[in-house]
Amino acid sequence: MSEIVTKKTRSRSRVQKTSLAVTYILLIVLGIIWLVPLIWIILSAFRCEYQADGTFIGTVTSNFFPKAYGLKNFQDLFTSTYYGVAKAFPRWMLNTLLIAIVDCLISTFLVLSVAYCMSKLKFKMRKRFMNISMIIGLFPGFMSMIAIYFLLKSIGLTGNPNHPANSVIGLVLAYSAGAGLGFQVAKGFFDVIPNALVESAKLDGCTNFKIFMKIILPLAKPIIIYQALMSFTGPWMDFIFAKVIIGADNAAYWTVSVGLYSMLFGTHPDTNLFTQFAAGCVIVAVPIVTLFMFLQQYYVEGVTAGAVKG
Amino acid sequence: MANLKLSHIYKVYENGHKAVNDFCIDIADQEFIVFVGPSGCGKSTTLRMIAGLETITAGDLFIGDTLVNDMEPKDRDIAMVFQSYALYPHMTVYENMAFGLRNRKMPEEEIKKRVLKAAKMLDIEEYLDRQPKAMSGGQRQRVALGRALVRDPKVFLLDEPLSNLDAKLRAAMRTEITALHKSLKTTFIYVTHDQVEAMTMGTRIVVMKLGYVQQIDTPMNLYNEPYNKFVAGFIGSPQMNFFDVTLKREGDVVKVTFVNGDEVNLPYEKVCKIHESYLNGDKTVTFGIRPEHVSVNKEGHGMRLIVTNVERLGNETIVYGKLGDHLEEFTMKDEGKNIVIKVVDRDDINAGDVVYAEPNPEKVHFFDAETEVTLMNKVPLFNTVHAKTVGNKMELLGYTVDLPEAYINALGGDGEVSLGIPPHAIVEGNDFELKVGRIEKVDDKNLAYLVNGDSYLFALVPDEVKAGDIYHFALANEKINLRKDGKDILAAVSDEESMVGTFTKTEVKENGDRVLHFFYNIGDYTIETAPENGYKINSIDGNNCYKYNYRYAVNRDNIRIVGENEEGLSGKVTGYVDYGNIRFAKVKAADEELLIKVDPDFKADKVKLAFDSKDVSVYSTRIELKLC
Repeated sequence: MSEIVTKKTRSRSRVQKTSLAVTYILLIVLGIIWLVPLIWIILSAFRCEYQADGTFIGTVTSNFFPKAYGLKNFQDLFTSTYYGVAKAFPRWMLNTLLIAIVDCLISTFLVLSVAYCMSKLKFKMRKRFMNISMIIGLFPGFMSMIAIYFLLKSIGLTGNPNHPANSVIGLVLAYSAGAGLGFQVAKGFFDVIPNALVESAKLDGCTNFKIFMKIILPLAKPIIIYQALMSFTGPWMDFIFAKVIIGADNAAYWTVSVGLYSMLFGTHPDTNLFTQFAAGCVIVAVPIVTLFMFLQQYYVEGVTAGAVKG
Repeated sequence: MANLKLSHIYKVYENGHKAVNDFCIDIADQEFIVFVGPSGCGKSTTLRMIAGLETITAGDLFIGDTLVNDMEPKDRDIAMVFQSYALYPHMTVYENMAFGLRNRKMPEEEIKKRVLKAAKMLDIEEYLDRQPKAMSGGQRQRVALGRALVRDPKVFLLDEPLSNLDAKLRAAMRTEITALHKSLKTTFIYVTHDQVEAMTMGTRIVVMKLGYVQQIDTPMNLYNEPYNKFVAGFIGSPQMNFFDVTLKREGDVVKVTFVNGDEVNLPYEKVCKIHESYLNGDKTVTFGIRPEHVSVNKEGHGMRLIVTNVERLGNETIVYGKLGDHLEEFTMKDEGKNIVIKVVDRDDINAGDVVYAEPNPEKVHFFDAETEVTLMNKVPLFNTVHAKTVGNKMELLGYTVDLPEAYINALGGDGEVSLGIPPHAIVEGNDFELKVGRIEKVDDKNLAYLVNGDSYLFALVPDEVKAGDIYHFALANEKINLRKDGKDILAAVSDEESMVGTFTKTEVKENGDRVLHFFYNIGDYTIETAPENGYKINSIDGNNCYKYNYRYAVNRDNIRIVGENEEGLSGKVTGYVDYGNIRFAKVKAADEELLIKVDPDFKADKVKLAFDSKDVSVYSTRIELKLC
């Protein structure tokens, strides 16, 4: 009897081992496919090669690993003039940071307020509104791009050469105005907060706004952080809206993604800027990676909120 | 401190589910009212409607003299303790208790004073700096009570506050809450599904089932005089025993026969309020007796039963038995055969014994087998009196009286008739006289047992009537039901007349403002109603209210006949009903046959009827709902 069991166990473990091996091979292959471009960009950022005549090689080279390493790309990136804008890259970084922070504040507030309304208030059409917003959310955001562009243009908030700074306001508006529709995750979190707390606060004389600010928000730290992260990284990574709304002529008001792209494919592409572009990519990733590393714990709490009934 | 009035309160959800039906109660200041019932009976919904956390579909809710239907919860001056305590987890106990006061902009010093006082009262002073998560269930419950306490509200609402506590703590908190009620002298409304809490704490209890109020009464009245089988079974532990039986009156004794043939005799005097139609031995009724009202003997008195289990609790012994003498498999469901008996100081009963159970005749209950309503109403619904008619005369109660025209027309000849006479149809007069056997005080009324041969005629009499007096009275003929050969031949005239009609509005400009006027339309009669009634109907049925039909009910006394040229409901007189003391005209109007009170010499072919809109009650024709 025991022999049979052992045999069975052994045969099962062989099957398991094979399937594990296949899984790992698959994962390793996928990992390589996923990591190679990343590593390549990082390596290119630190590439510091010169031709025999002493000119710097900033183009794409055929060798994967650089022959020499250095920080020249980063130095050049922060000091060079692109498109007639002196020290353009730091400026783009600042533009993006400003837009991201403002959008983060507005969007987070909007999303959390809408989520509170959907979770804790009862009103007519509530369910229907949630369904509609869900369906709208299924369409990609850039579908509305042209409409948004013309709307913003009509009120002078696109890349108007006379008031180029307006386009930054326009971009913030474009990012944050529709943010409220992304309330589902936060609603899931608020659904777990007992209704009795809200009702109790109502009896204690609170208005809905006060309940939101004094009762719900203090209990919603993970979801606030999750939502802020999402709203912050959105503008940081977005290219399409920034490109369309700010326009090609206002290089001083570009965001990093538009700027970096223009270094390679803009109106005056310079093939010798590839390594600087790679350095720019590495720099762009730094703040987001740092944020995620520190706030990872809250991010997971937020993203899984409402998944299990509390 | 305030009194509360709930008048015809309904809660109907959007999907049509009716959570609360026609809830009416007047709650006096400083009362401790308990809503009790199984889950889903609507007790919490009612409480939440009082708190303002649920909207009221129909009906009026008054706190003090103020109508609060549309008032925000925070303005109602009430405090509520939730089942889950609902303490704010991110605040300390002190902050939790002070939160409501701070919202009301109370000076910090006063807040501190109140919080400390409440904390002292509830013995939580040392925990004021703690957060709720660092406290036990009982302590949290105290904080929740304290949070309500500091507000000094007019009404305290408590929603199953003890259900999350263990049994020992629950008993302790029960006493504390009762003591709190006494010291605060405030109105308390308490929701529970635990009948022990209800019985021990409430000054009055509202028993609910499936959204309907079953009975509102003091704990002892609920226990002693349950209105129906549900209340009887719900109150008391172990619950009341129920058996299907038949009743047969034999002289001074009523024989109770069980399905298995066992018999128990009860004195007629104890069950005389049961209507005679149940005492023929041919109608199955439900007999109810509480476990503590059955005595056990081995001498053969009463129902024979075999003991299936005995639970000795020390202070008392609970005997489970099965009627009859065959020990079959014991099932709890089989309530007709099983019996539970609570005895004190008996340790000679063991499982397997055959013993006899004798119910205490003072404590028996009988319910209709179908409607499950008690057969022993405090005030019997009606007396049945047998009479004989010869020509235009009727012999009843030992007297011969003239028959009113309405009776003559209905009877269509001589013969035996039976009269269903409700107690309130026995009015002052000199047509009859009977001896008062005894007087029973029922609420604020005096119920007289008038001796009529070997049975009683129940009447409501003035205070000065005493037992042993001879009581002179007459009969209000129109309130009497007439039966002949087992068939109803003339129904009593109800107090109300009802008509079906529609509801409309018009919008007019008055001094530049748009003003809405609402109307009840009954046949060709249009009657304007107060705007608040219009808004009420509109808020319940939405704009469909202008398409639906409504039933308009008016007290018969408030319908008047008006002149030809005045506004009114046109009707055709099709005949008259003369009860001697009162005369009605049969009027066909708005597709209904109405009975309208008229003078003895009134004669007309056509009439116009009018009434005031304030006397009209409006009912939905789609669901059972009084709108206003």
